[in-house]
Amino acid sequence: MAGGAHRGGGRWGAPHSPAPPGPRGCPVPLKAAAQSLCRKPTWGQYCTLLLFQRKLEIYSVEHHAATDIKKKEGRDGKKDNDLELKRNQQKEELKKELDLDVSLQFAFVLFVFQGLSSTRAAELLAQNGPNALTPPKQTPEIIKFLKQMVGGFSILLWVGAVLCWIAFGIQYVSNPSASLDSVYLGTVLAVVVILTGIFAYYQEAKSTNIMASFCKMIPQQAVVIRDSEKKVIPAEQLVVGDIVEIKGGDQIPADIRLLSAQGCKVDNSSLTGESEPQSRSSEFTHENPLETKNITFYSTTCQRVFRCTATGMVINTGDRTIIGRIASLASGVGNEKTPIAIEIEHFVHIVAGVAVSVGILFFIIAVCMKYHVLDAIIFLIAIIVANVPEGLLATVTVALSLTAKRMAKKNCLVKNLEAVETLGSTSIICSDKTGTLTQNRMTVAHLWFDNQIFVADTSEDNLNQGFDQSSGTWTSLSKIIALCNRAEFKPGQESVPIMKRVVVGDASETALLKFSEVILGDVMEIRKRNHKVVEIPFNSTNKFQLSIHQTEDPNDKRFLLVMKGAPERILEKCSTIMINGKEQPLDKSMAQAFHTAYMELGGLGERVLGFCHFYLPADEFPETYSFDSESMNFPTSNLCFVGLLSMIDPPRSTVPDAVTKCRSAGIKVIMVTGDHPITAKAIAKSVGIISANSETVEDIAKRCNIAVEQVNKRDAKAAVVTGMELKDMSPEQLDELLANYPEIVFARTSPQQKLIIVEGCQRQDAVVAVTGDGVNDSPALKKADIGVAMGITGSDAAKNAADMILLDDNFSSIVTGVEEGRLIFDNLKKTIAYTLTKNIAELCPFLIYIILGLPLPIGTITLLFIDLGTDIIPSIALAYEKAESDIMNRKPRHKKKDRLVNQQLAVYSYLHIGLMQALGAFLVYFTVYAQQGFRPTSLFHLRIAWDSDHLNDLEDNYGQEWTSYQRQYLEWTGYTAFFVGIMVQQIADLIIRKTRKNSIFKQGLFRNKVIWVGIASQIIVALLLSYGLGSITALNFTMLKAQYWFVAVPHAILIWVYDEMRKLFIRLYPGSWWDKNMYY
Amino acid sequence: MTKKEKKSFNQSLAEWKRFIYNPTSGEFLGRTAKSWGLILLFYLVFYGFLAALFTFTMWVMLQTLNDEVPKYRDQIPSPGLMVFPKPLSALEYTFSASDPSSYRGYIEDLRKFLKPYTLEEQKNLTVCPDGILSEQKGPVYVACQFPIFLLQACSGMSDPDFGYSQGSPCVLVKMNRIIGLKPEGTPRIECIPKDENVASISTYPNNGIIDLKYFPYYGKKLHVGYLQPLVAAQVIFSANSTKKEVTVECKIDGSPNLKNQDDRDKFLGRVAFKIIARA
Repeated sequence: MAGGAHRGGGRWGAPHSPAPPGPRGCPVPLKAAAQSLCRKPTWGQYCTLLLFQRKLEIYSVEHHAATDIKKKEGRDGKKDNDLELKRNQQKEELKKELDLDVSLQFAFVLFVFQGLSSTRAAELLAQNGPNALTPPKQTPEIIKFLKQMVGGFSILLWVGAVLCWIAFGIQYVSNPSASLDSVYLGTVLAVVVILTGIFAYYQEAKSTNIMASFCKMIPQQAVVIRDSEKKVIPAEQLVVGDIVEIKGGDQIPADIRLLSAQGCKVDNSSLTGESEPQSRSSEFTHENPLETKNITFYSTTCQRVFRCTATGMVINTGDRTIIGRIASLASGVGNEKTPIAIEIEHFVHIVAGVAVSVGILFFIIAVCMKYHVLDAIIFLIAIIVANVPEGLLATVTVALSLTAKRMAKKNCLVKNLEAVETLGSTSIICSDKTGTLTQNRMTVAHLWFDNQIFVADTSEDNLNQGFDQSSGTWTSLSKIIALCNRAEFKPGQESVPIMKRVVVGDASETALLKFSEVILGDVMEIRKRNHKVVEIPFNSTNKFQLSIHQTEDPNDKRFLLVMKGAPERILEKCSTIMINGKEQPLDKSMAQAFHTAYMELGGLGERVLGFCHFYLPADEFPETYSFDSESMNFPTSNLCFVGLLSMIDPPRSTVPDAVTKCRSAGIKVIMVTGDHPITAKAIAKSVGIISANSETVEDIAKRCNIAVEQVNKRDAKAAVVTGMELKDMSPEQLDELLANYPEIVFARTSPQQKLIIVEGCQRQDAVVAVTGDGVNDSPALKKADIGVAMGITGSDAAKNAADMILLDDNFSSIVTGVEEGRLIFDNLKKTIAYTLTKNIAELCPFLIYIILGLPLPIGTITLLFIDLGTDIIPSIALAYEKAESDIMNRKPRHKKKDRLVNQQLAVYSYLHIGLMQALGAFLVYFTVYAQQGFRPTSLFHLRIAWDSDHLNDLEDNYGQEWTSYQRQYLEWTGYTAFFVGIMVQQIADLIIRKTRKNSIFKQGLFRNKVIWVGIASQIIVALLLSYGLGSITALNFTMLKAQYWFVAVPHAILIWVYDEMRKLFIRLYPGSWWDKNMYY
Repeated sequence: MTKKEKKSFNQSLAEWKRFIYNPTSGEFLGRTAKSWGLILLFYLVFYGFLAALFTFTMWVMLQTLNDEVPKYRDQIPSPGLMVFPKPLSALEYTFSASDPSSYRGYIEDLRKFLKPYTLEEQKNLTVCPDGILSEQKGPVYVACQFPIFLLQACSGMSDPDFGYSQGSPCVLVKMNRIIGLKPEGTPRIECIPKDENVASISTYPNNGIIDLKYFPYYGKKLHVGYLQPLVAAQVIFSANSTKKEVTVECKIDGSPNLKNQDDRDKFLGRVAFKIIARA
C-alpha cells in the first residue's frame, strides 16, 4: 500500500484518476481524518493533501486536487485549524474515505504543524531515494575501453594478428625451426591495436574529465521543519511531505506547494523560458501546475526580494520533480551518432572494404599460382596491413582534440570530441531565446516623454545612454525612477561595474535602479537627499507603487509624491501631462498620443510602466504633516503624468551579428522559446532571426487590411507559430512549415514540442544544433545533432544534455564553432587524403611480389613504421592548416552528399598520387639492387631462389655469389630504400595536401609552421630508423647510402607539379569534367 | 527516419540494378558511355605518361651502372662457402652405396659442374704461378687453369662415381665469387666431422689449399673462362662404426680477411652439411 502510494503520489505519470475529487481543492487535511486513516496500517500518519496526475505531455500536467490551505493556516491558524478539523470530523471522514477509495494510492497526508518525524523521513528517504536527479547513465569505463579496442580498423588488425599466430602455429608443427617473423608481426599488430586503443581512450577520457570537473555542483541546504523543529539539512535528504522554508535568493530545493508566502517571485525561466519572474503565493490559481501560483519548482530560484519568505510542503523529490521528469525525458532520447562519426565509419568501411577485397583477391590469385596456402595467408595479412592506415584514427582523434582545445580557448567547451565537427555541418540552429539570445535580465529599452519615444542602450554594459536628456521632463522622470523604487544595491560593490552589481529587489526595479544609477550617478545618495516619508509598495490590486519624499531643495518645502505602475492605471490618476518640463492639461489628443506610444512599446514585446508625480501643496501638507499609508491621507488623483518607460530582456549585443554570420553561412536560425509570441517576435526581429523586411502572414493581413486566411502564404517569409498551433499540426504540416519559411519563430512551446521541432528539422535531412540554457531545453538539446548549452546561466540539466557548452554564454561563440567545425572537416579530408595516398605505395610491393616474384620490396613491419612513425606528426600538422577560402560564405555540407571521403578523394589518392608514389619508391628500390649487382630484369621471378635459405651461392648479374644472409641484408636495404622513397614523396604529398583548390603559393608555404615540424619529424624519424637503429635486425632497417635519399626527389617534385596543375584546372574550369572528377 | 533507412531487399536489389545499368540516363555503373570514354581516355594518357616517365627514370638509373663491375660491393665483403652437389632440401646427402639410383642425381650434377674443369676445356687458360695473386690490368683478363686432377680421388677421373658407390662420397666445397676479393695469407678449407669416431674427412687438394692465383676475380664480363678454385671433401666412414651418419663442418682458415665466425650468417666462410649413408 505504501509502495503504491509512493508510486502514485510520486509519479505524475500515473493514469488519470477516474474521478478527480472536487473541482477545486479537496478538503482541508484534518487531524481526525488523518487519525481515522491511520487505522489503515500502511498509511501511517499521512493523509491526502495533494493529488497530481500527468498525461504524457509534461506541460499539460493537471492539477486536480490542489487544496486551498488558507494563509491563516501558516502561523496563527494552527489552533483554528485544529478546531475546524474536529468540527468537520464526521463529514470529512466520510468524504475522505470516499475520496481515498478513488485516489488513495496517489495521496499523502501530513501534519503541517510538526513536520515529519525524523524516523518517518528516514523511511521515506529510504523508500523514495534522495532528492537529487539521477545522473545520466555513464557507460562503464571498461566498455568504453573495449569499444576503442575493437572499433574502426582494430578488428581487422586483430584478425591479422591472430592469423599470424595461427600461421606460425602451423609452420611450427611442420618445422619447429620455423622463423619467428610471423609471431613478431602478430605481436606488433596486437601492440599497435592496443596502443592506439589506449591512446584514443585516453584522449576521450581527458575531454570527459574537463566536463566532470565543470559539472560539480555545490551541495544545497534546505531549512526544514521536522519533529516540530527547524533544521538545516542537505537538500538531498528532503522527502515528500517535508515542510520547508524558503527565503529570497534561495534555490527551490524540490517541487513545493506553498502553504504561505509573502512577496515572493520565482524565476522560472529555466523551466518555461519566460523571462519575467513569476509571483508566487499560496493561492491556487490555475489548473496547470506550471501556471498556478502556489507551486514552485525544483531548481528554480526565488528572487532576491525584501522580506520574501515562504513555507511550503515538498510534493515531489528527485527524479519525480518536473525538472527530474524533463531530465528523464532528455535521457530517454537516444544518442544519435554524430555526423563525423558517421563519416569516419563510412571511411572505415571503404578502406576496410578495399583492404579485405584486395586481400582476398590476391589470396585467391596466390593460391592459383600454386603458392603454399600458408604463404598466401601471410600475403593476405600483409595486404591488409598495407591497406589499413593504422595511425589514422589516432590522428583524427588528435586533430579533433586540438580543435576542441582551440575552441575551449574561444569559450566553446566540447564534451564529446566528435561534436567538434558537428557545428560545421549544422544547417539549422534552433535557439532558445531567454538567456541564449537575450541577457536574461530586464533592462530599460525605451522611454516616452515629451510625446517622443527615446531609445535606451540595452547592450550589456548600458553605459552609452545617448538619448536627449536636456528636457525638463527627463529631470522629473529620472527623479521618479530613482525615488519610486525599493530596490537597493547590496553594499560593498563599489568597484563592481554597475551592470554586474547584485541588487536586492525584483527584476524590473533592479532594471530601473541600474538604469538610473548609470545616468544619474549614486542613486542611494539621491534617495538620502530626498528623504522618503511614506510609501505604498506595489501590489496586484493597486497596480501601482507610490512614495512621498521631501525634496532636496532646502527652499522647497513641498513634498513630492512619485508614483509608477501600469500605464493605464497611472493615466487614470492624472489630469495633466508634462511636456518639455511644463505641465499641460491632459487633453484627448495627448491621451491618444499616450495610447499610441503605449501600444507601440507593448507591440515590441516590452513591459511598459507609467510614471507620474505631484508636488503636494505646502500649505495643505506642511513639513510636520503625518502621512499614513493605510488611510492614504494624501491625493492620489489629478497628478501630473510624466512619461512611460518600457523594459525588455534585451538581446545580447553580439547576437545580431552572429545571426547574420550564420545566415551567410547558409544556416537557418529558428527561435524556439517558451515565452510569449509578441516578446519572441520582437526579439527575433531585433536579432535578425526575422529580418527587417520580411513579414509574417499576420503582418501582411494587417498591412493589407484583409483576413489572415486571404493572404497568400507564399508571400510571407517569416512565421511565428505558438505551441497551441503546433499542437494541432500533423508532422507533414510541420515539415511543410519548416521547408517553406526561411524565418521561423516558435513561441510558447513545451519541452516536448521543442523535441518535435528538432525531429521535424532532422526529417529535412538537416543537421540540427539546439542552443539553450533551461531545463526545458534539455530534451531538445539531447535530441539535436549537437546541443549547445550556456555555461554561466545554463542549468545543470541543460549542460548534461548538451554536447557543447559556451563558457561565456556568448551566442556568437557558435559562429566560432561553425567555423572551426567546417575547418576541421576540410582538414580531416586533407589528413585522410594524405594518409591514404601511401597505402598504394605500400600495397604495390606485395602485389608485385606475388605476381612478378621480385624480392620483397618492403616488409610488413617497415610499413608500420611509416604508418605509425613518419606519417603521424605530418598528418596531425594538417589539422593546423588555415581555411582555403571563406568557409563562412558557403552552404553547410549536405549530410548525405558531401562525404568526408568521397569517390574523388579515394580515386585521386589511390590511383593518381598513390601510384606515382609507388613508382618513385620502386625506382629507389631498383636503384639499390642494380647498384649492388642485381639489375632490374634479373629480379623478376627471382623470388623462390632469393627466399631459399639453403641457396647460399645465388649469382648476380656480375658473376658474384651471395649467401642467403647477404641477400637478406640487401633485401632489408631495399626495405629501407623503399621506405625512404615513400617518406620523401610523402613530404611532397604533405605539401600538396595543404590545399584542395588553391595554389600552395597562395596558401603560403610557410604559414602553417606545424607542417614544417611534421616534415622535420618525418626526416628525423627516418634518419633515426636508418642510422640509429640500423643495427637492430628485428626492425629490418639498414644504413642507407646518402645518395639513395634523393632518388625519389624528382618523383616528389612531379607529384607537386601534377597537383598544382590539377588545382589550376579546377580553378580555371569550375564545373568542368576535370573539376567534377578531380576535386575532392 | 529509421523507417526510411530500412529498405526492403527488393528495393535495394532494384537500386543495385539501377546502379549497374540505368536505362533512363543510360548510365552504366554510375557513368554514361561518354563519361566512361573520357575517364578511360584520361587514364590511358595519364598512365601512359607515368609509364614513360618511369621507364625514363629507370633508363637514367641504368646509365649510372657499369657493365663490368657493380657500383657497390659493400654488401658482400667476405665470401660465403657452399657445397656441391646441392641436395634437394637442406644440406643433407642421403644415399645408399648399394643403390646407384639413390646417388645418380649427385653424380650427374657433379659431372656437369666439373665439365668446365676438364683438361680440354681448360687448354686455352693460362698456367699461373702458384701462391701469388694474379692481379691484372686488362684490357684482356686471363683466367688461370684449375687442373681437375688436383681433386684427386674426387676428380671423377679415377672414380666416375665420386666415391658414392664405395660409401665414401665426395662433396665439393667452393668459395663464393666476389669481384676484387684478394684473400690474405694462405687460405685453405678445413673440414671436420662432428664425431671423429664415425668418419674422417680427406680434403683435396691436399690440406684443402685454395691457391691465391685464382684471385682476384674480375667479373663475369671481363674475366671470361674464370674457374673458381674448388676443394673436395671426401667422407670416409670408419669401418668399425655402425652409425653411417655424420655432420661435416667446413670453414675457411688461414686467411685473416676471410671471415668464418659471423653470428647471423651461417654460411659466411663456413658451411655445414650432413651425410647419411644407408646400407
